[in-house]
Amino acid sequence: MAGIRIAAALLLLAGAAPAWAQDANAGKAVYERKCLLCHGEKGDGKGPSAELLLPKPRDFTRGLYKIRSTVNKTPTDQDLFRIITEGMPGTSMPAWAVLPEKDRHNLVAYIKSFAPEVFKEAPKKLELPKEVSSSEASIKRGKEMFDAIECHKCHGTEGRGDGPSRPELKDEWGHPVAPANLTKRWTFRGGRARTEIATRLANGVLGTPMPAFLEAVEKPEDIWHLTNYIVSLGPDSPQPATLVAVSAVRDAIPDDPGADFWKKITPSNILLEGQVIVDPRNFNPAIDLVSVRAAHNDKEIAFHLTWDDPAESKGDGKATFPDAIALQFAPQQPPGTERPYFLMGDATDGVYLLRWEQGKGVTEVSAHGPTKLAPIPGGEAAGKAVFKNGQYALVMKRPLAAAGAERPTFRPGVFTPVAFQAWDGGAGETGPKMSLTSWYYLRLEEPQSNRKFVIPPVVALLTFAVLGMIVRAARSRAIQ
Amino acid sequence: MRKTFVALTAMALVGSAAMFVAGPRLAGAQGGGTVEVDVKYNGAPVVEKLKVNKDTEKCGTETAIEKVVVGSNKGLANAVVSAPNTKGAKPVKGMVDQHGCKFVPHVSVMTPGELELKNSDDILHNIHTYSTANPAINKAQPKFKKVMTEKFEKPEIIKLTCDVHSWMQGWVAVVPGIAAVTDGNGVAKLENVPAGKQKIEVWHETLGKQDKDVDVKAGQTTKVTFEMKGK
Repeated sequence: MAGIRIAAALLLLAGAAPAWAQDANAGKAVYERKCLLCHGEKGDGKGPSAELLLPKPRDFTRGLYKIRSTVNKTPTDQDLFRIITEGMPGTSMPAWAVLPEKDRHNLVAYIKSFAPEVFKEAPKKLELPKEVSSSEASIKRGKEMFDAIECHKCHGTEGRGDGPSRPELKDEWGHPVAPANLTKRWTFRGGRARTEIATRLANGVLGTPMPAFLEAVEKPEDIWHLTNYIVSLGPDSPQPATLVAVSAVRDAIPDDPGADFWKKITPSNILLEGQVIVDPRNFNPAIDLVSVRAAHNDKEIAFHLTWDDPAESKGDGKATFPDAIALQFAPQQPPGTERPYFLMGDATDGVYLLRWEQGKGVTEVSAHGPTKLAPIPGGEAAGKAVFKNGQYALVMKRPLAAAGAERPTFRPGVFTPVAFQAWDGGAGETGPKMSLTSWYYLRLEEPQSNRKFVIPPVVALLTFAVLGMIVRAARSRAIQ
Repeated sequence: MRKTFVALTAMALVGSAAMFVAGPRLAGAQGGGTVEVDVKYNGAPVVEKLKVNKDTEKCGTETAIEKVVVGSNKGLANAVVSAPNTKGAKPVKGMVDQHGCKFVPHVSVMTPGELELKNSDDILHNIHTYSTANPAINKAQPKFKKVMTEKFEKPEIIKLTCDVHSWMQGWVAVVPGIAAVTDGNGVAKLENVPAGKQKIEVWHETLGKQDKDVDVKAGQTTKVTFEMKGK
């Protein structure tokens, strides 16, 4: 009995005291080691590396926080603690779970000290409407509300962050700010969980153009219908592929990116990163994912690529450039695991690029580094691109067999190195300023043999014949 | 019957007595005067024109951001004129309409309290205030939400924006004292300003602030002219 009491008392103590004890001075020491480089000595978001980042690091002196569970301006300590611990997806803010919990609590206290006025007002918790679980009816209602409250104005008709107001959006510091791509939930700044999405909808994202919708929907539960609709727009995570399989088909491969043929092939999602090795570097790449479908028949190979881009850009040649994408291969199947340098090859080992560019179409290029490109003349490469609702869909085709030493020949059953490069010209990407991958592999499936349609029936027929003979032999013996 | 008559007479008497007592106090204003404020600006009007690429049915294909509006006789429109130290001003409810993708009126005044926000455009707007003394709000106002009411209790000149239509900008001045906005000729009248020395303040969204002490005389109209300087 006494033991239980002591245990209970200990539990109470543990729950009450140390977890929330905060020491702003101790927090300052951690801040100066871990946070200052981006957020600045004065907490004004103007650290030495701030100019390279987009979105910009938070200016703590204004006390405006995007991610709150409160209806007023003041976030809870737990809100701040969570962002420190989990980071902000889609931004440069990493998850600091590596720091001891105590340090993170102390950081909360120190960060608050940059805007003491804001924290004089107590946080007022948001009461979300009663949760509605997802169903077909709820998603339908969510879509109705999505249209009625005009989410598309910023987020686009299909939610890819490509709405007509997108180019004008600025945060309260005057920095350009992009509306969330609702089909990529893993990039949501405040997290992808349903409660988080509902909270952002209800509360808005402070300091940004995203307004609060709690009082602006027809019925409070519409917040949940909208949440369910948004969740229905895309997968929970990008599910990156490691290998691109090229399906073997017998018939002709359609040029039209919208053809049903392509819908039957499972896409491989390839994640891209900014090119930060040579100047000009791309610290804030616009294109982070390309979905690849591929097929071949006995004559040609075709690649179907889709990627999100908020606007079709042909480029003005000054601030904007044509949108483009490229597949990179080694000109000859390299022996063993050797491959040319992944960043478009080098002086000794070049690469072959199958490239599409807005206004130019599909071209074949030989590259010896990101600035040494030479078109390969006389090819048969072709393709067709369609841009709709913030997404490109492109088909690029070429013969399987090579014509000339600069082009690779594609052979079934062989693991062929492939890499990807993409440019959002509308965001000022051109030349080395691109997003890219290192080498992946693709593999052409072997054509399906006709034998599987011939041998099993033959075996079956033979079996029946033998059985028949045995039965006949047995009968004739019985009669005798 | 008689009792009722007596009671009614008594009530009437008390009533008229109350009116008699209250009368002069209400017209405390009688001890007040009118200040006619003339705001001048010698510079050129500043109007940014821009093309509209969305909601053109409601917003038109072209819009203008009117930063400095100058009328006849160099009168400066859309300036807030106030006697900020006057007490007991008649409550004025704030009212702003979002019409034709503009805040109408572009500049308005209210006493601390409620601001009624209308959306007569039948499209989505969002009310995004850049308030610091008052809570900053950013609330969506979809087409079906025709009226929204917000509270602004502290004196402050608040910028209103709409992120959906980035050219939309408006101002609401929360002034506890007597206040008005200059008309197209740069004139505003402050009525019932208590007699005596009063500080008169002028504020304009791009030309800044000025103030003057004015000797207000009961029952008379005092004229005062401000000359705003370009920045």
